[in-house]
Amino acid sequence: MAYLTVTNATKRFGETVFALRDVSISVERGEFFTLLGPSGCGKTTLLRSIAGFHALTSGDIRVNGADLGRIPPHKRDIGMVFQDYAVFPHLSVFDNVAFGLKPRKIPADEIKKRVPDALESVHLTALAERLPAAMSGGQQQRIGLARAMVINPQLLLMDEPLSNLDAKLRIELREEIRDIQRKVGIATIYVTHDQEEALAISDRICVMSDGHVEQIGTPEEIYGDPQTQFVANFVGTINQLQRGPTLDGILETLGLSQADKSADKAAWSVRPEALVLSDLAPPASGEAVAEIEGTVQKYTYLGREAHLFLKTVLGEIVVHVANPARAIKHAHGETVSVQISKDALFGFDGAGKRIATGNTPAQGAA
Amino acid sequence: MRIPGFWTLVLIFAWTLLFVFLFIPLGTVLVASFIDKVGEPTLNNYITFIESTRLRRAFVNTLIIGFAGLGGALLLGTIMAFCLTRFEIAGSRFVSMMAILALVSPPFIGAYSWIVLFGAGGIFRTFLREFGINMPTIYGVSGILIVFSLKFYPFVYLLVSGALSNVNRSLEEAAEGLGLTPWQRTLKITFPMVLPALSAGGLLALIQAIADFGTPRLLGRGFNVLATEAFTLYSAEVGSNPSMATTISIILVLLSMFFVLVQRFFLRRNVYHGNLINKPIKIRLKGWKNALAHFAVYFIGLAGATPVIVSIIFSLRRTSGPVFQSGFALQSYERIIFGLGDVVRNSLTFSFSSVFLIVVIGTLIGALVARKTTLNTSLLDGALMIPFVMPGIVIGIAYITVFNTGPLVLTGTALIIILSIFIRRLPYTVRTTSSALRQIPPSMEEAAISLGYSPFQAFAKITVPLIVPGIIAGAMLSFITAINELSSSLVLYVGSTMTMPVRIYLLILDGDLGTAAALSSILLVLSAAAVYIAFRFLGRNEQALL
Repeated sequence: MAYLTVTNATKRFGETVFALRDVSISVERGEFFTLLGPSGCGKTTLLRSIAGFHALTSGDIRVNGADLGRIPPHKRDIGMVFQDYAVFPHLSVFDNVAFGLKPRKIPADEIKKRVPDALESVHLTALAERLPAAMSGGQQQRIGLARAMVINPQLLLMDEPLSNLDAKLRIELREEIRDIQRKVGIATIYVTHDQEEALAISDRICVMSDGHVEQIGTPEEIYGDPQTQFVANFVGTINQLQRGPTLDGILETLGLSQADKSADKAAWSVRPEALVLSDLAPPASGEAVAEIEGTVQKYTYLGREAHLFLKTVLGEIVVHVANPARAIKHAHGETVSVQISKDALFGFDGAGKRIATGNTPAQGAA
Repeated sequence: MRIPGFWTLVLIFAWTLLFVFLFIPLGTVLVASFIDKVGEPTLNNYITFIESTRLRRAFVNTLIIGFAGLGGALLLGTIMAFCLTRFEIAGSRFVSMMAILALVSPPFIGAYSWIVLFGAGGIFRTFLREFGINMPTIYGVSGILIVFSLKFYPFVYLLVSGALSNVNRSLEEAAEGLGLTPWQRTLKITFPMVLPALSAGGLLALIQAIADFGTPRLLGRGFNVLATEAFTLYSAEVGSNPSMATTISIILVLLSMFFVLVQRFFLRRNVYHGNLINKPIKIRLKGWKNALAHFAVYFIGLAGATPVIVSIIFSLRRTSGPVFQSGFALQSYERIIFGLGDVVRNSLTFSFSSVFLIVVIGTLIGALVARKTTLNTSLLDGALMIPFVMPGIVIGIAYITVFNTGPLVLTGTALIIILSIFIRRLPYTVRTTSSALRQIPPSMEEAAISLGYSPFQAFAKITVPLIVPGIIAGAMLSFITAINELSSSLVLYVGSTMTMPVRIYLLILDGDLGTAAALSSILLVLSAAAVYIAFRFLGRNEQALL
């Protein structure tokens, strides 16, 4: 049995507004579990229901088998890190971190030991006696993190903790959060709308939209094997291919016509980095490969990769080229050809569900 | 969710309070204005108002001094704000302290001091007469204009300087880059940005000028306004006409309300949120421009603070009876200690009691309005705007009308004066508390709850410490208003509940200027102490004084 289980959680505001519809997740002991989705998808509602700040309309939440439903939020023993830090401005950094130890009746000499340890782990030892008001967002969030960890809660919840920080600090702090979480081994639920952050930090990701779960899986499964159109679009970028005789031809070449016909209103798409420029393609391995031509609209060089914007009969298509050599700069108007392999194509039916193609076994389906 | 019964009780209590001490008195005044002397319903009071040349003149005069005060305050306040925010002025803190002194001094001190200097037997006039120059006296409309301009300019100064220092400099630089001259830039960019502050400051000046009773009474000399007419009609021993007084009260309230609505209507869209990446810097002027800017600022500052300076100096002058002698002595203060101790005691007791009530009840209602936003609490918030447009004299007349007979007789008690101050100042505390609470993100309390504190403990340990400095500062400001309050107490006092402002007013009418100066100085010291405490808790936040 999983450590945390949420079963058939539904949250309704008023009569008609559903923030959560029948959501079930389970989180293992020590797991880093991320709720990912656009704003309004219900991820924060789910997190706050676990914390006890919302009561579910129906469904239940259990930690270690114990029902949390009737336990008021302050008795749930759940650490929480907030988007706006929620650091107490009238208390010193030390007192902020010690704040949660007092209602737990931890003896003073133990507080004097645990708080510095917690501050040490977030690199704030030097600031212990200062007031947090003038500190940077990064420092304030470190306080928030130490304050939630020091009580050794049975669960750690983080509500978009990095979204108010600048890009560089966001990456730095997310690595630290991951390291600390691994070291302490505490089950953590992390909410974010940033797909890159979710991929980088999580053991498993739950992609949500419009109050329901789209897919739960490891970062590799979510990105590389999206089970719904929504997941494919939301996580990473993707090229939608226009229907037409050319696409039918490609599907035929790759042996996907059967799958295409079996689904209702099938749509096909491909990740920009899964497309290969024909001049850079490895020698044919005998596997079937389709080729299309396009005119270069724009060439954007980014150092470790380059983006080619092509106009093709399948619509506008972006190709990502890894490690672009300086020599292969493509001029506007130039014609290039691009190879598409069978593995690269994702097909989705009219309901947005992934079409089985036989090659990439559908796994972890929601 | 936190003890729902408690907040429901607060809500019921707040409405009861408003009904008993605001709506019923105001409603009674309204009804009384439509009833003639024998108790029949009538429109005669309003007809009389329109037909009486004396009252028509009072109405026009009220508008004249209202707009004169508004114009003077706008002119002086804008000059002061512009010079102090845009130019390097030596001793700018001193000048802005002068403005604060002018703001917290009781309004009638101004009138009194200018009489001392420029009245019939005023020092300056006497001095000039020795050279054969016969300057006009300060009495009449010009005197009121001077006093109002110098008394109310701090409203404009404080609000506009706040707005001016928040105008992003990039905007002005962008306009410069687009080829606008400095004058065009000020007119087309800076002016629209500070217009909301300008009009808010002007509105405060206008409303206070319309409601002011002491200044036209002392300086008017036949120049009657609605506030003085209402008082005369109410309190005259011969020919008093209470129902006419209530009619004038209603007209005064409507007039204030009208101006508030006009200001709101014209500014309903003009809200600018500047980012403060590029704060304005102060320019160091050179040559005659520098001298002019310094002169303007110091002239306004010192002229505004003149009443304060005069009353302190005069309180220390040697006197013989009411007549000043040469040299200095503490006789005026001795007279207060031996003869007027009860007046000082009354003022302190009433002020502390009303401030205590304001803080306790205002904070509770403020928390209710901020935390439980429902239609009911929004209505409550709106209803609390009414005392803002109620001139003191109207509250006085309303209270004495309602609490003279009937189930609740309060006439002649200390409680009626305390309540009249309480109801007028309550809205300010509700506003400051609710806005302070709204600035504390809900995640603060949630963080404490997730750390193991019950909702009530979280409120007590996190929210309360965060709003207490604001509450204390607000209490100090209420104290300043309370201790300086004249117009409602003047209607409500009896011999045993006389307060310092009332006594000062009577002393000036009697010509005992030394004692009046000494009492005024005590008021000033108390007000200044309150400002000091407020600044200690809030930082030097001058705009909070409004």
